[in-house]
Amino acid sequence: MMIKKIDKNQFKELFDKLKENYNIAAPVLIDKNKKTLVEYHYIDDFDKIDWDEQADSSPKNIIFPQNAPVGNDYKEKQYYDTEQDTLILGVRSCDIEAIKTLDQVFIEDEMYIDKNYKARRDKITLVGLSCPQRNKSCFCDTLGFNPVESNYAPLYIFKDGNEFWIKVKDKKFESVFENLPDGNQDKLEELIEKRINTFTESSFELDIPIPLPEKEMFEADIWEEMSEKCLGCGICTYYCPTCYCFNFIWEGKDGESTKYKNWDSCMFSTYSAHASGHNPRDSKEKRYRNRIMHKFSYHPLNYEGLGCVGCGRCIDRCPVNLDIREALKLTEKYLEEKGGAKSGKD
Amino acid sequence: MKKYEKITEEIVEIAEKLLKENTVEKVIGFGIGIFTEEVTPIFISNPENADRLVFNSKAEMSLAKYLLNYKDQKVAIVAKPCDSRAIATYLAEDLIKRENIKVIGINGCPGIENNTACEECDIRNAVISDYTVGKKMTEEEIEAKLKDKEDKIEKMTPAERMEYFQKEFERCTRCYACREACYVCYCEQCFTEGNQPEWVGDSVKLNDNFTYHLMRAMHMAGRCVNCGACEMACPEGIDVRALAAKMCRSAEELFDYRAGIDSDQKTLLSDYDVNDTESGFME
Repeated sequence: MMIKKIDKNQFKELFDKLKENYNIAAPVLIDKNKKTLVEYHYIDDFDKIDWDEQADSSPKNIIFPQNAPVGNDYKEKQYYDTEQDTLILGVRSCDIEAIKTLDQVFIEDEMYIDKNYKARRDKITLVGLSCPQRNKSCFCDTLGFNPVESNYAPLYIFKDGNEFWIKVKDKKFESVFENLPDGNQDKLEELIEKRINTFTESSFELDIPIPLPEKEMFEADIWEEMSEKCLGCGICTYYCPTCYCFNFIWEGKDGESTKYKNWDSCMFSTYSAHASGHNPRDSKEKRYRNRIMHKFSYHPLNYEGLGCVGCGRCIDRCPVNLDIREALKLTEKYLEEKGGAKSGKD
Repeated sequence: MKKYEKITEEIVEIAEKLLKENTVEKVIGFGIGIFTEEVTPIFISNPENADRLVFNSKAEMSLAKYLLNYKDQKVAIVAKPCDSRAIATYLAEDLIKRENIKVIGINGCPGIENNTACEECDIRNAVISDYTVGKKMTEEEIEAKLKDKEDKIEKMTPAERMEYFQKEFERCTRCYACREACYVCYCEQCFTEGNQPEWVGDSVKLNDNFTYHLMRAMHMAGRCVNCGACEMACPEGIDVRALAAKMCRSAEELFDYRAGIDSDQKTLLSDYDVNDTESGFME
């Protein structure tokens, strides 16, 4: 592992050098008429990067776009992205962990490897960013993630004022950074520890078994209360960094069609509607149950880790401020009253 | 802000009384989240919890739509003037029973932060209520509050307008939050959900986004109460309200019709006048 320490100007130079070989995406402030939001966008200008705010939408949009063409006229023609290598700069732990879940589903599951996702993902390098402070609604540390460091990114930045520490964890990138001044590992460790300590206080503590017991929770009588205020829009799933449900759609005209892999949302009434007219999730409490259970029961049962990374975007972006933390607290209370249920794996 | 605090106090008092006396089973109102300071809809059935109800400048959601979930229950609802118009429209459309609901109407609504619809609001008092909170605003006071703002979209040339809406709808992810937040959008099956015919393509493309927003706007004629809930709900900051607001203005200009002014009024699209020359429609 290589540790480098550079200032803003040096980083700017580095950025311009990297630009020659990579597309670079980073969180930037975007004026959206009625709102101003921080989002991941491809950029040319280092100064545009917003290092301080958690992005309002996740880098999922780049790795797993809302609409991706995957085939043509029912033939097996694939639309692999042929773009040059991409760096996603300033990805925080929550989003790195989220990308790990997407990778689990689309690449690492031997049952089915999504070639389109893999082709795109292989070209993308994550450059992590140590989270400077707890955001308004995030709770990654409550779920056991480390906001200050994540091992899943081959490059990791610790920003300290105007100074940037860069951990180069992948040998492949060492040549890019070798001429930059070295950083002192002990000092960096000190910085990391200091920062971890700022994350101790959280008003949200949680004690639930993971995976949540599938059958017991499925039949629990708490879902109506949890979802009472839910409007049934797709915001929580669209802005969630881990929500990956998709739909295949053929679209086209004049005898030509393209197969798309589009985002779907379990919050939509059409999500699981059958052609027969039957819908196993015909009410919002059943749909909300699916969202919570997928993240805290089904995903942990089928893969490793959680399906929620605690980024808090579903809370911040929800038009009625439906809070997943309150839902989890209700789950905790329900299981407690039931006499401490075992996890779904036991 | 004294006004909000006073309204909150009055709401709590009325809600507590209604629940204690078993006049209603539930009070639908605004509250504060457990882990945040954000306003969120809450549903109170225990009089002891009535003090969780609040009203402040962030109470941006339209609560009226929740009434459709409790059609056969006796419920009370906290209603901003715009929400009271929505409730009046539901009554006019015969969707809810008057005897089942108690409206706690807010008079002299001090408005909602960042909601541009509030600047255009010339109602300011609940149009329908069983209990009122706040202080009724006089017509002069309402007039004084109305900001003389020129409508920049009306002033645009058709080409500029096309460009403006292209830029707006380009960002739409079709999460349908505008639809779900809107009290008008209660169809069991939205035109976006059908596939025979498929009015709107599944992929998020500019032309399909246009189709969605324009078709939705068409359904707003004579029903939209210009509450701004769609715009507040939009996660992409799109000027969603512009089209619906235009439909409001058109209904008023062409047919002298405003939705949700009176719970007995006939709805615009289910009424006709034999002397109607249809000039508005044909022009």
